[in-house]
Amino acid sequence: MDMIVHPVLLFVAIAICGVGVALSVPRRKFHASLIGGLVAATGVGVLIVALGGAALAEGGPLPSPFFHLLAIIALGSCLQVITHRRPVYAALYFILSILSTAGLYILLAAEFMAFALVIIYAGAILITYLFVIMLASQSRVEDEEEGISEYDAVGRGPITATIVSFALLAALTSMLFTGVRAIAPPAAESVARAETVVLERLPGKIEKELTREGLMARGETVTGLERTEAGVLATVEGAGGGSRLVALPEDLAPTNTEGLAFNLLGDYPGTIEIAGVILLMAMLGAVVLARKFAQIDEEAKATAAAALAEGASAGGGRPNG
Amino acid sequence: MVDLLLAQSAFPEAISQNVLAHYLFVSAAMFTLGLVGFLTRRNLIIMFLCTEMMFQAAGIALIAFSRFHLNYEGQTFVIFVLTVAAAEAALALALVVFLFRKRDSLSAEAWAEMKG
Repeated sequence: MDMIVHPVLLFVAIAICGVGVALSVPRRKFHASLIGGLVAATGVGVLIVALGGAALAEGGPLPSPFFHLLAIIALGSCLQVITHRRPVYAALYFILSILSTAGLYILLAAEFMAFALVIIYAGAILITYLFVIMLASQSRVEDEEEGISEYDAVGRGPITATIVSFALLAALTSMLFTGVRAIAPPAAESVARAETVVLERLPGKIEKELTREGLMARGETVTGLERTEAGVLATVEGAGGGSRLVALPEDLAPTNTEGLAFNLLGDYPGTIEIAGVILLMAMLGAVVLARKFAQIDEEAKATAAAALAEGASAGGGRPNG
Repeated sequence: MVDLLLAQSAFPEAISQNVLAHYLFVSAAMFTLGLVGFLTRRNLIIMFLCTEMMFQAAGIALIAFSRFHLNYEGQTFVIFVLTVAAAEAALALALVVFLFRKRDSLSAEAWAEMKG
């Protein structure tokens, strides 16, 4: 089976990316962050152009221009995360990469997950990281230059790490670019059925839409959906008991949040419980780990206990009212 | 141009295999950057930040496949990935604070005598 991009071009571009990343990893002698970043961007650019060329050759659609913009911002800020010498800036660049990833999610019509990502990741997890970075950077050793610690200024084995990682990238992408042709797109039938299944659980939404369109009077209820050649038909039951079929408007479709909610809560309820237990255990573990182990000697403990007992008896002896 | 960014009112259309390959490439590249960072950096916090980057790369691949197959399983799975990432961040940061109190350094090599 042939690859989307010619294998030689793919491996050369990945090697260029690898050289760029290896150059920009911080080290003692020189720190060619800008040059390395430009070299890596060249490699990524060559690959994206080759991918776009392959898409055009097939007459297929290109991804939207926003995809290219967001992908470049995401990968560029990820490179900054792993090469910036100051941890605070690395965390801030990671927030930038999360925001551009959320943009990619919106392009993929996953609006709920895009906003959840911004709120949970950028809003909660990364702020916790920033707190810990600032907390742990308070005490400084004398021999640092410009306030950068030695372990931030010098990477560990950049050449080996880059070679291993980019060999993995070469293997991954050559597999992807060969295998992606073999995945069958979903059948129109099954997509339409999935859409109807979600709508069937949302009678209120259908009733609202039909009432707005004037296809249904007050007092009538929707009792079922039926998929036919002509489109989706809703069974509308009148107050008197008679029922009739009404065609749904073409553009009535479940939103992303509704579909995701039914999938999450309807199909995976047990998994949510397990996720809750995992979060609870993580919280307990974090509390236990981060607790300060205070050393109180026995004498101080006895004094404190006596003071407490005295306070309690004094409080109890006070007349009420 | 603007309507590209607006949320779809109807059910989204499937993306083509070539567009899926674009997203998968971005995902693989981000995962690789995270791996390079995890292997080269010596600051404990940055190392954990790089694992979060790898989680995020997996999320892009899941969401792209979810759009390609037009089902919600990929997006549901990203919610669980976010859960695991949050739990990992809480535990990892608590560990980092604990270790920092003991050695007064964030370097991973401050604990080098633990290697067997």
